[in-house]
Amino acid sequence: MSTTSLTDRLGSLLMAPVHLLMRIIDIPLRAVQKAAGIGGMAAVFLAPNMLIFGIFVLLPLVINFVYSMTGGTAFFISERNFVGAEQYQRLFTCTNYLDPMSCQEDAFWTAVGNTFWFVVLQVTLMIGVSLITALILNRDLAARSFWRAVFFFPVLLSPVVVGLIWKWILQRQGLLNFGLYQFGIEPYTWLTDRNWTFIATIGVSIWAHMGLYTLILLAGLQAIPKDLYEAAEMDGTKPERVFRRITLPLLAPNLLVVVVLALIKAVQIFDEVYVLTGGGPGTSTLYLTQYIYETGFASTLRNPGLAAAASILMGLVLVVLTLIQLGVGQRSEKKGKR
Amino acid sequence: MGEITLTKIKKSFGAVDVLKDIDLDIKDGEFIVFVGPSGCGKSTLLRTIAGLEKVTGGEIEIDGKRVNEVSAADRGLAMVFQSYALYPHMSVRQNLAFGLENSNMPKAEVAERITEAARMLEIEAYLERRPGQLSGGQRQRVAIGRAIVRRPTAFLLDEPLSNLDAELRVSTRAELAALHARLGSTMIYVTHDQVEAMTLAHRIVVMRAGKIEQVGTPLDLYNTPANRFVAGFIGAPHMNFLAGEVAELETGTATLTTAGGHRLLVPFSGHSLSVGDKLTIGIRPQHITLANDPGSLKVKVRLVEALGSETVIHADLNGEKLLAVVPGQKLISPGEEAHLSVAGAPLHLFDRNGLRVKGS
Repeated sequence: MSTTSLTDRLGSLLMAPVHLLMRIIDIPLRAVQKAAGIGGMAAVFLAPNMLIFGIFVLLPLVINFVYSMTGGTAFFISERNFVGAEQYQRLFTCTNYLDPMSCQEDAFWTAVGNTFWFVVLQVTLMIGVSLITALILNRDLAARSFWRAVFFFPVLLSPVVVGLIWKWILQRQGLLNFGLYQFGIEPYTWLTDRNWTFIATIGVSIWAHMGLYTLILLAGLQAIPKDLYEAAEMDGTKPERVFRRITLPLLAPNLLVVVVLALIKAVQIFDEVYVLTGGGPGTSTLYLTQYIYETGFASTLRNPGLAAAASILMGLVLVVLTLIQLGVGQRSEKKGKR
Repeated sequence: MGEITLTKIKKSFGAVDVLKDIDLDIKDGEFIVFVGPSGCGKSTLLRTIAGLEKVTGGEIEIDGKRVNEVSAADRGLAMVFQSYALYPHMSVRQNLAFGLENSNMPKAEVAERITEAARMLEIEAYLERRPGQLSGGQRQRVAIGRAIVRRPTAFLLDEPLSNLDAELRVSTRAELAALHARLGSTMIYVTHDQVEAMTLAHRIVVMRAGKIEQVGTPLDLYNTPANRFVAGFIGAPHMNFLAGEVAELETGTATLTTAGGHRLLVPFSGHSLSVGDKLTIGIRPQHITLANDPGSLKVKVRLVEALGSETVIHADLNGEKLLAVVPGQKLISPGEEAHLSVAGAPLHLFDRNGLRVKGS
């Protein structure tokens, strides 16, 4: 009995500041509710969040759009002159649309081309590698939790750390060349070969992000009832047909989410590549975000207006991809309800 | 043909022995029900027969052929899962066809088998629907249909009615019995519901802790349970068990005394009892009547359940629980004293090890 009353007393002691706080808040909130009405309270509670969203998301979006309509090198908007759609026009001025070098802003189109191929190859490989990894991790492996952690670990790393780790491995006097040298293979300059660098950026970004997609696919695989596989086994279904007719269709909602997420992430690729290759050699790994960053901030002839215009275009692409994701999400939700 | 012979079947998961030396002969066309409490190994036994689990020891023969190493698909059996295991992204028709397509069966024959099974199970109207659009009972039929189209040697059914509501379970049970009569195939059915076991089975296999306790027809098990466990498991409500002792032995009769000093006469023709032996006396609740004859048991009524057609009386007999199911409606209240008679009731005697006393 005495212990109960002691814990009771301790509990009420701990709750005292909470009660006090609630009483203090109660007075102004009652007044607010009187003024706004019950219905208006929803808006009152949403206001702080909407304020943060407005300041940090909506406002920069508007400012960015305004920047894209201005010219000059000045950063302050008051010192910039209005040029209308000139920046967009500049981005789209080409003599031959199939040849980036014929465009006025050739670096932009090189970056667009690089990003396009990067996205196509990286997302395709990413899905394949994540799916295979998820399928393997879904089996009765020894130390399964350990392997799951191993594949997820890179997701926790900062992109800069990812870039530095792989630079350390791939540079001329790096770990890879050291390993190859032990087998009598001549060291190679991986990070100065245009093709290898492109492949390296794909490989490194897959390594860095596949853990998350593997996890999503693994969750999908584990949600497929074991009974279905046993029923297929009783029916003498070949493994290839089980995968094609049972696993893949039932994993489809997860796969679609992964595809869209990977697409969006791939379009935004920047930090790890910037640390690893700096966009080089030449412009072989110059991707869109890096182009925007360099045009707006880093280059000696910086042009914030042009960078803003390019980022608006990139934003449009991301909006389209996000809409697809929303559509996919709603469709699979409907399917789930049926 | 659908004869299945199990010889000394053992199954272990790590250090845990789930099945211990199971011997069983299942005849062609027989409806066998495995029944037992949760975790007794009945589902594991079914899965080893199916080939979904490998046995640790012993032999499984189907129609005289050893199938231990034969894959699940090649044993010629079909299984109906507790969860139905229907492919949710396929229509009912595709679900039925899926297994047949694996064996490259001509399309016309696949269609013919589906039509036949659909007609038999009355699921023609929703062949194009997906499982998610069907009720529990309809899904259950589709699951059975998927087994039927394969024309298996034997059907394995793993608690197929457990996901249905009580009313549907009763009607589906009757349909299953009719289906078995029509198909004539061997069926092995797993359940923990002894009413399902009693109503469906030709023979019931009662299992406990990985062992078979008794195999027999439903009435065999009801009338002459081999041990206290079977006696308690078969029959609802459960059999009453009273502690007793042999007081006198005469030719053809034994006189027993209960803990409360009541004397009970039991027909007995064996030699396995001697005066002073401690026993457990089993009495089915339905065999107890309300009467005030000499030798009746004076009890205190604890709870009365009036079910209309019968009255269930929970009583206390000198500290031992006694349950009686008497026909009709009785005006009796908790707290009252009552006299219960077991005169003429078949009494089941079990020795100290819980085994049925021979000759009782």
